[in-house]
Amino acid sequence: MAEDSGAALNPCPPSAAAADGDSTRRTARPGTKRLLLTLSVLLSFLSGLPFLLKSTEIYRSPLPFRSIDSLSSRLQSDHPTLPCRFQAVLLRPDADRFLADRLGSLISEDLVKRTSNDPVSGGCGKNFSVSVTIDSGAGCVRSSVGAGDACLWRCGVADFSGLGGGDEDVDELLDSALREGSECLGSGGGRVYTVVVIERDVAGEGVQVVVGKHRHAWLVGKVSEPEAVSMIGKIFVEIFMNGGKKAGEIGKAEFMPVGADGSVVLSFSLLNADPSDWVYNWEFQKIEKIMLAPVVEALAPIANITVESQLIGRFYTILQSHLFLIGTRNWVNSNEWHLDTSITAAGQSKVLQFVVYVPSARECPLVLQLPDGETSKTNGFISPMWGGIVVWNPPMCSKDSQRTYLAKNIISTQELQKIFQVFIGQLRLLFGLRSNYLDATEMGISRFLNSERGFTEWELDLLYRHHTCFNLLSCATTLESLSKLVQSLPRMIIMDEIGKQVKFSLEAASLALRNASLGIYDASAVSARKARALAEDAFFHPSIMSISYSSIEHYFAIYMPFFAPVSLHVLLAAIKELKRYKRERAKYLTSADQARAAS
Amino acid sequence: MANTLSLYRTVKRLGIPDERIILMLADDMACNARNNYPAQVFNNENHQLNLYGDNVEVDYRGYEVTVENFLRVLTGRHESAVPRSKRLLSDEGSHILLYMTGHGGDEFLKFQDSEELQSHDLADAVKQMKEKHRFKELLIMVDTCQAATLFSQLQSPGVLAIGSSMKGENSYSHHLDSDVGVSVVDRFTFYTLAFFEKLNMYSNASLNSLFNSYNPSLLMSTAYYRMDLYQRPLSEVPVTNFFGSVMKTIHTDSAYTGFSAEPKIKVPYVLEDNEADRMMLEREAEEDKIYSQDKKVGSCSFHAWLRHFQERLEDENADTLVKYGFGTMILLLAASTWLSL
Repeated sequence: MAEDSGAALNPCPPSAAAADGDSTRRTARPGTKRLLLTLSVLLSFLSGLPFLLKSTEIYRSPLPFRSIDSLSSRLQSDHPTLPCRFQAVLLRPDADRFLADRLGSLISEDLVKRTSNDPVSGGCGKNFSVSVTIDSGAGCVRSSVGAGDACLWRCGVADFSGLGGGDEDVDELLDSALREGSECLGSGGGRVYTVVVIERDVAGEGVQVVVGKHRHAWLVGKVSEPEAVSMIGKIFVEIFMNGGKKAGEIGKAEFMPVGADGSVVLSFSLLNADPSDWVYNWEFQKIEKIMLAPVVEALAPIANITVESQLIGRFYTILQSHLFLIGTRNWVNSNEWHLDTSITAAGQSKVLQFVVYVPSARECPLVLQLPDGETSKTNGFISPMWGGIVVWNPPMCSKDSQRTYLAKNIISTQELQKIFQVFIGQLRLLFGLRSNYLDATEMGISRFLNSERGFTEWELDLLYRHHTCFNLLSCATTLESLSKLVQSLPRMIIMDEIGKQVKFSLEAASLALRNASLGIYDASAVSARKARALAEDAFFHPSIMSISYSSIEHYFAIYMPFFAPVSLHVLLAAIKELKRYKRERAKYLTSADQARAAS
Repeated sequence: MANTLSLYRTVKRLGIPDERIILMLADDMACNARNNYPAQVFNNENHQLNLYGDNVEVDYRGYEVTVENFLRVLTGRHESAVPRSKRLLSDEGSHILLYMTGHGGDEFLKFQDSEELQSHDLADAVKQMKEKHRFKELLIMVDTCQAATLFSQLQSPGVLAIGSSMKGENSYSHHLDSDVGVSVVDRFTFYTLAFFEKLNMYSNASLNSLFNSYNPSLLMSTAYYRMDLYQRPLSEVPVTNFFGSVMKTIHTDSAYTGFSAEPKIKVPYVLEDNEADRMMLEREAEEDKIYSQDKKVGSCSFHAWLRHFQERLEDENADTLVKYGFGTMILLLAASTWLSL
């Protein structure tokens, strides 16, 4: 009895067991303090674990991967094409409904045949409609396609009785007749391009074909039906759709000199080769206002253009004789021309250099000779994606003129205008168009009218279409690369800004696609440019540097030495205490049973 | 340093302008206190040519030469304030020459005695460059020990690489300048320069002749080049494609004569201001947050409490959260300690 109470007061297993001589029984309840202590330490560890994970979490702004994938697959499978509408108007004495329909179907067939190879992305693709209107002054019939479309030729509006003026007058006349139509977008089929066939006896010259500077062309003369169909088809496809170049040439990346942020800097430089001979200056601001400002405005939807100019006078020795050759069509840039001195050009914008080179007295007159032996009329050439150069020989060049050294000579306004006309031609070449259509006879066109904005409206439409397509495809591939990159680095921080940029880029891209399908070329060009700029901003965000972000093994390697040894001990202690408690409890229960059985 | 400066002079002589060269030098030798010829760097013991003299434009010098900046140059991910001269302004038609020299080893190149550029980082950067069409063809020349391992992980097409030595081999210097006290040029670079001495910007020696000019017995290592990613045969590629500057030209056949003397003054239509749109990203964040809190709340009190708790968690930053956690842990520990006493 005494031993039992002693054992009850002192619940120490060895002594109780020793007293009993039996290690499988104890008479007192096992204590729980040790167990509770170890369990509390373990639990506080476990409760701290979520705090640890949360505090070392990588912040990743959620990117819409699915939308990016769907956009890029949609664009890859189905290159965006913008719809166009073509109409042919015949001005002839008798208006015949069947003729109109027949012509309409013939022209459609001809167009389909001409565009039978792969649709050029950015062209009208297969997405065009053809309608024919015959206007005889007295009456007017339309082909079935396009009947009821308010944007087409309005009958009886144009008065061709006084048609004796020059081509420009005809152009303006047609423009006033068609102005309503080309401004309206109607059922959303895109712009309307018109060919007007004026049947008249033209004395001796054959058929005159003129392409205007708005969105129409006209044919004057007597043509047979198949000839007319083929001519009209050729104008629609080769001129209005492809700009006089082969299909696919304009859309090449080589002729898209717009920077990733949607801006271009046109940097004009006047280089005096040898300042000791003469130094020329120019009145740049005046000529910029007259000649460059309209061009900048015309190209505004596809690029945000800024213009800057500089005057350089240094000593150059690149050109040895007074004739220099472009023999192999490659030209070596002298490293003495420090042209890229722009301070306003941001890192992502594109700079196009336009250089006027004034040769020194030894070199002058410096004339460009072409590979076939002819001398150049413009004395200039371009390098795609770089810019253009014009060599201007000063009037003091000829040996017999008195050369008086003046401190500053100014290039006269007429000469400067001629130089800038070459520059505009070079700008057109850089954008993929032809610099001028003076030798267009192989196309069968008598004349192309030039616009004082540097680009005619149909050329601008062409550029808008191609740039829309190019920018959308570029945006989609950039976003796809970004999503692949982000998914491959699971522990890279993605800042909110990147998430926003991606979101806005996707919105702009879908807006551009919607505008493109409606045929609004300039709005879709603007949205596509914005989409590409945002996508490039997101991709080139300076925080995406894979070298700064550690892998999951790195994370473990940092935290393991802190927590692994301690947690091991705590866990082991808890397990040991639990096992001990269970064992003691079992002992207690068996002895309690025995005691009850005995009593 | 003399290696890089000599090659810099060579490519400039062959026509590449400074604006198309990015020169990264640790630049610790020219003005070093132990340099007997201050501000002069030679690549030959006859001291004929001072490489550091004039017309040298170093874009990244000293502490700016880090692995991170190098990868930023390659991938184009700069801060917006970085000037154009420090950026690689290449496009999809560019041919890029990348020349690296220094100390290196198995799959790495040492930067500034403290960092390493790993071969897989380089391969990753080149892959990203290719995806963004930042080059058409890339030639990588490496003059270090075990140089060929540095480009062993490359996968992108259009890349050609040559290293001065293979795995397990060292690259040796050419000769020692006892006046200055260091070796002034390495063998691989020396023989490369010797090849280019004979050329000018109009010559059309091919890359094949360059690569075949390396004699293993003279180099005391095997110059290994990797052309499995490069489509064109090396005998057709002139060295001036990479080491010189050749531009494609198109003649301007005629001027555009559409302009009259006096312009018609037109009021320009107002375009949306794209720049301002992009800068306004920060303000959008506020509106988004407000919108998300307007969502309808459920009626269950537990869910309401949980949502409230989640909102509190989201609103507070990690620091206060950790402080709360630690406080709780300490309280628990204190309580359990008191219990055991």
